[in-house]
Amino acid sequence: MTATLPPESTPGSAPEPASGRPDRPLGPRLTRIGLFALVAVAFVWGFTGLDASIERLRTAPGDAWQIIRLMWPPDFATEIDRGVIGKVLESVYIAWVGTVIAATLSLPLAFLASNNISPSFIRLPIRQLFNVIRAVPELIVAVVLLGVVPLGPWAGALAIGLHSIGTLGKLASEEIESADHGPVEAVEACGGTWVSRVRWGVLPQVMPSITSYWLFRFEINVRASAVLGMIGAGGVGSELIAQLNFRNFPEVGAVLIITIAVVVFIDTVSSAIRKRIIAGGSAGEPSRTAELFRDLLGRRAARV
Amino acid sequence: MSEAVASERPVKPRRNPLAYVVAAVVVWWTWFAAGQVGFRWSTFVDVWTNPLWEKFWPVPWDWVLDRSNVIDPLIETFQIAIVATVIGCGLALPAAFAMSRLTTPNGPTYWISRIFMSVVRAVPDLFWAKILVTAIGIGAFAGAWALSIFSFAVMVKLFSETIDGADAGPLEAARAAGSRHVPAVKTGVLPTVLPSYVAYALYVFELNIRASIVLGLVGAGGIGRVVEAQRSFFRFDRILGILVLVFIVVFVIEQISVALRRRLV
Repeated sequence: MTATLPPESTPGSAPEPASGRPDRPLGPRLTRIGLFALVAVAFVWGFTGLDASIERLRTAPGDAWQIIRLMWPPDFATEIDRGVIGKVLESVYIAWVGTVIAATLSLPLAFLASNNISPSFIRLPIRQLFNVIRAVPELIVAVVLLGVVPLGPWAGALAIGLHSIGTLGKLASEEIESADHGPVEAVEACGGTWVSRVRWGVLPQVMPSITSYWLFRFEINVRASAVLGMIGAGGVGSELIAQLNFRNFPEVGAVLIITIAVVVFIDTVSSAIRKRIIAGGSAGEPSRTAELFRDLLGRRAARV
Repeated sequence: MSEAVASERPVKPRRNPLAYVVAAVVVWWTWFAAGQVGFRWSTFVDVWTNPLWEKFWPVPWDWVLDRSNVIDPLIETFQIAIVATVIGCGLALPAAFAMSRLTTPNGPTYWISRIFMSVVRAVPDLFWAKILVTAIGIGAFAGAWALSIFSFAVMVKLFSETIDGADAGPLEAARAAGSRHVPAVKTGVLPTVLPSYVAYALYVFELNIRASIVLGLVGAGGIGRVVEAQRSFFRFDRILGILVLVFIVVFVIEQISVALRRRLV
């Protein structure tokens, strides 16, 4: 058998037996070097626009650290007297109302934007609408809205609601498009109308994921609504701005810590609920709530 | 017999009574929150008759397209986003490896980095910007700092989750061959997750472009500074023009980035 093989393939006759390692291909390396160069050039160009002298680069970390040191110890007593808890809660309310507005408006739109539900002359404009909405940050929406809606939390909730339609609609319509076609055909075969096809064929399949997107968006919106207060749309942002402008750093520290605590708490609860929604559970199983609470309480134990 | 079979319909599964409780709580909470924020149906009607809408039109295009008014701050916005993306994503590479169960050097590193990251992420990006503006002065420099911190946090979260899902085989092979920690991670894990890293970096860049538009509202440079100034003059027509321009630019960048990401993953 070995005698029939061409001589080159025998180990001893290779031209350079010492170099056991194959050469690296040149093409990918050149691409990589080119990309690095591109990023480096963009970075340097970007830096020229930041009015960042060597002097500033050197002192900035110290200045930032100084601010953090001034915030310690945080002054909780003053802040609680000033009603910071109520303001954080107001941020949470704004986020919730905004998310509910976005959820109710985006769900029907998402169905109209899906290629298995609606014709292209309806679908494409709605898709573009989602893209347009997503491209405008909620703060900008709020800036415009504050011109025509009275200043306050309601304007903030509207801005968050309007902006979230874009993302929620896009995610929901992607979910609807990937839904299994079988149930839809079954409803069709039974003589179901367009509405029953959507209601019984698609909706039960997609609702768990869409609900979890809503919750996820709520988590994002809590942060967004905290920010909205900075331009006068209610919530904890206004308190932070006020205290920073007066240079009351211990108070700023307290506001930050309370905000962080609330955000982390909401994230933890919401992600536990999302996990349960996605994982599901058979109908009538009594232990679902118990498991939810176990997830909530025992996450730390479970991870180790 | 056959009659009975024909009329027999599958029994509707009983709904968990808890579902009604949850639904009631959600409805009550929504109603309560709506009351707290001052929800009014009349807003949806009143808003259209507000005389301020007239201030949005016509858009003064020659003002908007003037170089020093809008184009230069817009370029500044890009510069902030690029610098922040490079710094944030660059620092995130080692940090993400420390924060993944698969590649963390040891337990304490894992826990400290996890807690630190969740605190950083819990602070909204504009809070960072405002604090840094207070600390190191108004301008794009503070904005780039704030966005670097935020993109670092986002990137570490996304990328460490990818590393969690990477194949442990090559890493084990490298360790079995006697490699130390860093080379093992570099040859065993990095090549498999590098495409996702680049894709996430592009995604973070998109986020940064959007975020850097609003940074100016708190004095951290970029196009938001112009928006804020025009808002205080009630020049909503100019704001609308800026928005249209920004929208076009963001849209184009996003399409390019989405196309690149699709190719990578």
